[in-house]
Amino acid sequence: MSQASPVQAQGPAQPIPPAPPVAPQERRWRPSARPLTRALYFAFLAFCTVLFVYPFVWAVSASLKPREEVFDNRLIPKHFHPSNYLDVFRGVSDTIYKAQFGTWLWNSLWIAVLAAATVTISSALVAFGFAYFRFPLRNFLFACVLGTMMLPGVVTLVPTYLIWNKLHFTGPGTFLFLSRNQYPLWAPNLFGSAFYIFLLRQFFLGIPRDLFEASRMDGDNYWTMFWRIAAPLAKPAMIVTFVFEFKASWTELQKTLIYLRDDGAFTVPRGLKTLLDLYGPSAGGHGDYQVILAATVLATLPMIIVFFLGQRFFVEGIATQGRKG
Amino acid sequence: MQGWRKSLAAVSALVALGVLAFAATLASAHTTAKSAGTLNIMGFGTGDDVAETRAAIATKAVGATVNRPSGSFDDQQFLAAVASGNAPDVVYLDRQKVGTYAAKGAFQPLTNCIKSQKINLKQYRIPALNEVTYKGKVYGIPEFYDVRTILVDNNVLDQAGVKLSGLDTSNWPRLLTTAKKLAKVQNGKVTRIGFDPKIPEFFPLWAKANGVDILSKDGLQPHLNDPRAIAALQYAVSLVNAQGGWDKFKAFRDTWDFFGSNNEIAADQVGAFPMEQWYYNVLAGSSPKVKITALQFRNKKRQPINYETGSAWAIPKGSKNPTAACTWMKAMTSTSTWLATAKNRAQIRKSKNQPYTGLSTGNAVADQAIYKQTYTSINPFFDQAVKKVLDVQRFSFNIPASPASAEFQKAWMDAANRVLAGQQTAKAALNQAQKEATRAINAARK
Amino acid sequence: MATVTATAPGPHLRVRRWFAGFTSRETWAAFAFLSPWMFGFVVFTAGPMIASFILSFTDYSIIQTTHNVGTANYRTLYHDPDVRTSLRNTFIFTVLAVPAHVIVALGLAAALARVGRAASAFRTIFYLPTMTPAVAIGILYLLIFNGSYGILNRGLALVGISGPFWTTSPHWVKPGLVLMISVWAVGASVVIFLAALMGVPQHLYEAAEMDGASRWLRFRDVTLPMISPAIFFVVIINTIAGLQTFDQVYTAFFNASTPNGTDSSLMYAIYIFQQAFRFFKLGYASALSWVLFAIIAVITAIQIVVSRRYVYYEGQSK
Repeated sequence: MSQASPVQAQGPAQPIPPAPPVAPQERRWRPSARPLTRALYFAFLAFCTVLFVYPFVWAVSASLKPREEVFDNRLIPKHFHPSNYLDVFRGVSDTIYKAQFGTWLWNSLWIAVLAAATVTISSALVAFGFAYFRFPLRNFLFACVLGTMMLPGVVTLVPTYLIWNKLHFTGPGTFLFLSRNQYPLWAPNLFGSAFYIFLLRQFFLGIPRDLFEASRMDGDNYWTMFWRIAAPLAKPAMIVTFVFEFKASWTELQKTLIYLRDDGAFTVPRGLKTLLDLYGPSAGGHGDYQVILAATVLATLPMIIVFFLGQRFFVEGIATQGRKG
Repeated sequence: MQGWRKSLAAVSALVALGVLAFAATLASAHTTAKSAGTLNIMGFGTGDDVAETRAAIATKAVGATVNRPSGSFDDQQFLAAVASGNAPDVVYLDRQKVGTYAAKGAFQPLTNCIKSQKINLKQYRIPALNEVTYKGKVYGIPEFYDVRTILVDNNVLDQAGVKLSGLDTSNWPRLLTTAKKLAKVQNGKVTRIGFDPKIPEFFPLWAKANGVDILSKDGLQPHLNDPRAIAALQYAVSLVNAQGGWDKFKAFRDTWDFFGSNNEIAADQVGAFPMEQWYYNVLAGSSPKVKITALQFRNKKRQPINYETGSAWAIPKGSKNPTAACTWMKAMTSTSTWLATAKNRAQIRKSKNQPYTGLSTGNAVADQAIYKQTYTSINPFFDQAVKKVLDVQRFSFNIPASPASAEFQKAWMDAANRVLAGQQTAKAALNQAQKEATRAINAARK
Repeated sequence: MATVTATAPGPHLRVRRWFAGFTSRETWAAFAFLSPWMFGFVVFTAGPMIASFILSFTDYSIIQTTHNVGTANYRTLYHDPDVRTSLRNTFIFTVLAVPAHVIVALGLAAALARVGRAASAFRTIFYLPTMTPAVAIGILYLLIFNGSYGILNRGLALVGISGPFWTTSPHWVKPGLVLMISVWAVGASVVIFLAALMGVPQHLYEAAEMDGASRWLRFRDVTLPMISPAIFFVVIINTIAGLQTFDQVYTAFFNASTPNGTDSSLMYAIYIFQQAFRFFKLGYASALSWVLFAIIAVITAIQIVVSRRYVYYEGQSK
């Protein structure tokens, strides 16, 4: 890095803390030595588990009951009714509607993967830029990044929609083999996202500069430093980013309401809303909550799987960080 | 060093690709699916047999491709579409919203449509038409007519030794005594509600029972702090307070298994409450053996009154196919369509061994025809209820169309909630509501 | 590296040096890395933000013609009692929610660190609530928090506490929401804290133990400073999110049967949404949003300044 960079003459301590949540070495589990203490911690966690898991267990249990018993407060259904899950697809009671739940799951899946992958890479690039380099306007630009998180999305909803409309992504048709209407749901992630830029920057700042010094002296360029040194060391954080954004994309409803027109292009939350409008309690409706809850469980399962898989890599990533420098 | 050059090159390539892509998008042929033969509907996705039978008839009548994305009407979705110049051709929404959208110029008046298609407005119920009429012009075609009757659990009355006359809503002191007699509060918990006045939702009904309309017929003058309205709110809240107070009352009511077989009637958890008519159909299906009576809601002068709501079809400004839209609306709500639908439903229900309690369509001619031609007896209790529902329809009143219906509703609902929570007296709350409503309506009218 | 000495160069030289910074290779490289965000910011973010700012000086409603109204929206805002109510609700909620969230997340993460590999299963479980769709949460909120019959109060009754009416009592609505939104949904923060905890070097603990420090002192003087950057991150993110709380409260209190909710559950973000899409006052909603932006910016700035004293810089500085 430039030795006598005039940039260093710039002002006093920066207003943003640079420190990282994890140092790249010495990450370790610290299980308690004494089995009794460990058992106590276990018991405490088990108790918390019940609190956290109960609503979901209730939802699963209710999704297996016939309509009349959904709210009967029994944990084990009196009458097992797994056909609710079939009803999600083929319609129930008077409804002729056949939900394309499989299509919705597929749409949600690849949109979420695209959203998560693009945001991870792009945010990592930008975060590295903020973490490693010194340059004019750095603090100002980072403040802008933070600032984008501070304005409620409600009022930028319509102006953003108008921009996508001008770019012809709100009408029917496809672009590069992907449905146009779905681009606004993931394409903005090509340009990074403030939350993850912030998060990854913290991680990058934890990497000791000597590592980079060493590689510079070996003749590496900035890109190599990013790709060969910074990114691998921040892998746990990047996996966290992927998983979090996957979940955010999977559960996004508001944008899908205004961008998606076609049933076949719906994502799972948008489809759930349709089912809720159809089966929920309303004039003439039947309150078929059992179908709504079955759909809800179906909607949540893929995310649970992704999270469970993702965090196993996360654990591995941490466990292999034994090397120093 | 080549380092930064390499990264710069890489990123420039990415950016160039992005720019190219966008340029390609702009230049690409923008396929318009909007030909004269398309009808885009918003707010009416695939539904049950009542919806689909009529939709099939209407689609044939229109003769164009009909696009019906699923999901009910969403304001955000509609506004975004209008903002980008892609307004749908016809929308289906809550009747109460029509006035506001009309006042803001989002909907077209249907005068030409009605004349050219010869839609007979006389077949629709007058209150329903009033709801969609703003400044003398009709902006919507009404569909469905939800009326309210009092649903009585005979068992509960028998157990407490109370006669039906005790639930006569024209006699407020006696009703209060009845409610107290029927209610049960044990160990600090409500275990049975005597009479649920259903506020804040039905506050307009109570106000009208006391002789006042909370909004003037032209939709421009609220009367929320009229002394009679204040008295009505006070009374309704007193009913709740006499049966355990709002906290316990609502906590108990939230536990009702409304759509289940162990619902609040089957489990004798309530004596009586005003309810929309479609609930009789639910009850007949989930717990057909209940013994119920339907009573009309009466005002202080012992006249039956009834508060109605429903949906409507409207044509947004910017609709690209208003002619087809008009044909669609006419077909969806005509007497013959309704009759065919009702016959179909009666048949389906019979084949599935499920009860059928008729339809409340908003088309007075259709209602009568449907009852005469398709209704078959279920049991004396439900038969009485269905007949009563039909009888009370002509005594309905509506909340007039106004340029700020959402804010108006918020004003009085918030007021009622504050009084229930004990934060304000009825007088103070409604004075505040009156101020807010007046300000909103005045700001909205142009 | 060379630091700036007390003999600071004169203004001309400083300015020249600052501009010279733009020609450095490092700067160009930095901007190259930043370019994706900058492009997106210009096209997708700055545009709508500026648009909404301009709109806040109009009576934009989409469907009617728009007129310039100057600062009328901001003046109305100042006198609007609902603004005061919703701001108060939002502040109370955030002030309750953020500490509760941080403490619970930290406690769970600490417990997880102690049980070894089994933490993976627990971590998924704790993250589960954040993945549950709003629909289910809305239904369950009324069931669980029901004052007379909900399992929360029945559970409390088992230990002799008479639970309040979480869903209706004006004083208890917000604590109930804090429990449901902030405490129950700690999963993401647990993940972050766990990673941070595992990064604290073991030798620091050993050194403290040799000095005779108690468990509490070790926690206070070793753990907390070392994970303070993570705490800082979680606090900032959750404050910003708390002040914009919308989704779950909307589902629980503002659903189809009670479209207007109650006074005590009206959050500022919900009020903005109502103004925009129920009352069609997008100009006013924009003004409301920018006021919130200013508030959040100020609070975040304060937090950053405070953090300089309490957050420990590890690894590289600056």
